[in-house]
Amino acid sequence: MAIEDYRGDVEMCCRCSACKHIPLQKIKGIEHSDACPSIAKYNFHAYSGSGRLLIAKEMLTNGFKYTDKLLDIVYNCQMCGACDISCKYAMDMEVLLPINEFRIRCVEEGHTHPALDKVIGSLRKQGTTVPGARGKRAAWAQGLGLKDATKEKVAVYYHVGCLASYDKNYQKLAKATAKILKKAGVDFGIGYENESCCGGRAFQMGYKEDFLNQAKKNMDMLKKAGVKTLVTSCADGYQAFKVLYDKYNLKGDLEVLHITEYLARLIKEGKLKLNKKVNMTVTYHDPCHLGRLGEPWIHWEGKRIPGYKFVFDPPKEYRRGTNGVYEPPREVLARIPGLKLAEMDRIKEYAWCCGAGGGVNESNPEFSMWTAMDRIEEAESTGAEAIASACPWCEKNFNETVKASGSDLKVYDIVELVEKAI
Amino acid sequence: MAISKAVYKEFEDVVGAENISDDPAIKAAYRSPDITVVLPGNTEEVAAVIKLCNKHKIPFKAQSTGWLLFAPTYDFIYLDLRRMNCIIEINEKNMYAVVEPYVISAELQGELFKRGMICNVKGSGSTCTALAMSGHGHMGLTTSTGDRNELATEWVTDEGEIIRIGTLGASDEWFCGDGPGPSLRGILRGGGVITKQATKVYHWSGPSMFPLEGASPRYTLSQKPSEMNMMVRYFSFPTIEKLIEAELKIGESEIAFELMGFCPSMVSSNITTSNEEDFATLDKFTKEVQGPGFMVIITGNFDEDFEYKKKVLAQIIKETGGKSLKAAEDPDVEATLLFQCTRVCASIRETFRAGGMFSSMMVQGQRYDNHVKWLEEAAVWKRDLIKKGLVIADDGQQFGWGEEQGHLGHTEIFCRYNPYDEKSSEAVQKWMAKVGKRALDGCFAVPSMGVLPVDVVGKRVSNYHVWFGKLKQAFDPNGVGENTGFSYVGADSSGAHTSIYQKEPEKASPKK
Repeated sequence: MAIEDYRGDVEMCCRCSACKHIPLQKIKGIEHSDACPSIAKYNFHAYSGSGRLLIAKEMLTNGFKYTDKLLDIVYNCQMCGACDISCKYAMDMEVLLPINEFRIRCVEEGHTHPALDKVIGSLRKQGTTVPGARGKRAAWAQGLGLKDATKEKVAVYYHVGCLASYDKNYQKLAKATAKILKKAGVDFGIGYENESCCGGRAFQMGYKEDFLNQAKKNMDMLKKAGVKTLVTSCADGYQAFKVLYDKYNLKGDLEVLHITEYLARLIKEGKLKLNKKVNMTVTYHDPCHLGRLGEPWIHWEGKRIPGYKFVFDPPKEYRRGTNGVYEPPREVLARIPGLKLAEMDRIKEYAWCCGAGGGVNESNPEFSMWTAMDRIEEAESTGAEAIASACPWCEKNFNETVKASGSDLKVYDIVELVEKAI
Repeated sequence: MAISKAVYKEFEDVVGAENISDDPAIKAAYRSPDITVVLPGNTEEVAAVIKLCNKHKIPFKAQSTGWLLFAPTYDFIYLDLRRMNCIIEINEKNMYAVVEPYVISAELQGELFKRGMICNVKGSGSTCTALAMSGHGHMGLTTSTGDRNELATEWVTDEGEIIRIGTLGASDEWFCGDGPGPSLRGILRGGGVITKQATKVYHWSGPSMFPLEGASPRYTLSQKPSEMNMMVRYFSFPTIEKLIEAELKIGESEIAFELMGFCPSMVSSNITTSNEEDFATLDKFTKEVQGPGFMVIITGNFDEDFEYKKKVLAQIIKETGGKSLKAAEDPDVEATLLFQCTRVCASIRETFRAGGMFSSMMVQGQRYDNHVKWLEEAAVWKRDLIKKGLVIADDGQQFGWGEEQGHLGHTEIFCRYNPYDEKSSEAVQKWMAKVGKRALDGCFAVPSMGVLPVDVVGKRVSNYHVWFGKLKQAFDPNGVGENTGFSYVGADSSGAHTSIYQKEPEKASPKK
């Protein structure tokens, strides 16, 4: 699909501004009614979901005219999909997909962002989107005696992800995950130096070809290793393997689970027992790529029926965020003794983004932290002493923002809290 | 044509470099190729921008959230009021709220719910401004129309003068729109920019937040409406006369919180989450209804009050031969209608979803003796378009409701269609013109703004356009303000004025 294939969708935008707000039913007042970080920060309509569609419409009609401002609009978007959900509460049209294709077009025509080029340079050179990554990918696993899934058959392949592999501050997540899986008696292994970036973040940044290269590489490795079930503790990785690989018909019958889904399953089956008290009130942040963007891809091919109404043959089923992964993380938190969950105003399919997605963390760190700060304040308003997420990229952005702002809020990944409870 | 760099700099000095742009990408998002967009942050900046527009004879247009893609073709300064988004005050004792233009109804309503209060919400939906401007909506029965809720107002005229209307003109109080202080409510639609306004608020007996479950777009309520002393029903009637009799009786008895003259198609749009589901549901409803209908919401302050209102409603329906739509009695459907139509969150489903556009003929005033008859004729012509496959095949009906318990009324009919289908667009425009002309020729109503040329309409209505032109001249001597206010009916859906005028203002000099 290319941006041209979404002409009908961009033409459907009626500029109602629903894309700027969380679903209207969920608005409790003047606070926390914003859905889109980009329009909330930059205010010009062009930065909203609607504005982006209207720009696409103009350029599909009169040709692409690249200006610095256009690229500023394009790259100051976390691709979090909140606009898509709010629009589709009422409308039958795609929002995020054309926005994504527009960015892909920019990259294909050479209008990239230097900071993102650097990330992709790292991906091409070292197989990771963590620029400046040094050492071996699986250095964190040294001495843990984990199986190499590329050399011996395992029931579960644990895809660690770039950040938890390379960033010394977040290797603790990989270690915690391995410890929990061991404790539950799971027969699992990792890919060691054969693991490579999922490509998901490259896709968000608009580098579709790099994403596809990574996807093919990963699936070749997984097929060769005979992997049937993949578990990852990274929300971006989860969405890449489960949704994007499927979108491009690369996933096959691979079962993809986020660690929270898998932990909820292990707890339910009695294989993992959480016994130790973690006396803490936490609030849970739904990562975009686990929540609204984590719902399964729906394969559909069809054509618009010509005429006066916007319907398709065969009927098109839209992904509206309904079936994202919302409950498993909450189920896991609920099973931790002593832990209390205090929900924020914006949760699940209409959660506010952490700010790190779409390459914004790299291309505009100030905007990334501005977005995170909004979430930190929302978390603080619940009275919670900690915010828990289920993605290392969220945790990293929250940690950096908390540090910069002087907030007392603690930041955890769910696996860290589970580790405390076993 | 862009404004000169020097003039641009003058505007930039007012709002700051980050709040002004004439970049093609920014303009594309506003669908206007020749504009400069400014984002004023307060009343003083709005006034300063407008003064500069006067100084340089540059037309301006202001908008809040927007709702439709109106794109004037002339060069102008576009004031996007997005940064003016504060609720200034909620005065529980005196029952009003003061808002800036970019506060949306959903936000104000959310705050009011917590205080046991509610505000009028325009039919265009709760994503539109909470300013009490022209607009008729779901709760008109008990909260009237937008413009009947206006209290004190802060207004920047087309010359950039800040005028404080009503009590605000003589004090810091917002409780009255007419004084002590100047009362200019009658000409507010003539131009300028409303920067703050007090709107009436009303008693709300419902919950502080609807207990929603599930994920978008299929929210449900964890409680049955009846457990909250609330009930929703859709009744159809054997004739339009019986429907009107029922409407009037419900108004007289003051038992309903909301009476929305939905067609079955609007019920199906509200409760369905896709076009295909919508059309299939409508098909079922159409087979079940016996004629024109309305949806009614009863809310009880306490158990006995709820029971009393239900009994009165049942009696009225019995006397008028009404028939309840069984599907709407299903607690899940009832619940969905309750939260959709109280929070007015599905207007987009009712209007844009099916084809991408709708064109509406609407009128406020004497619903029962004139307007319904006129739009019943319009419905006959609309059904002809449906038969030809030019517009969405809904039930083709006019719809409407009594406002202020039936003392006023709103009547409307619209065609939903694909604006990119030339045949459909042309057919709808012709239909609009035909219906508009019939309104004038039959002395039924004054057609909506933009349907017929202003001078054609004005001649039939005491030449009001000439008088209005004089007012416009007095308040806008440089002709930079917007060409609104030529009709005293017609919806202003976006809240901030949206002109469908495509022509260059007569007095405006093309800027170089």
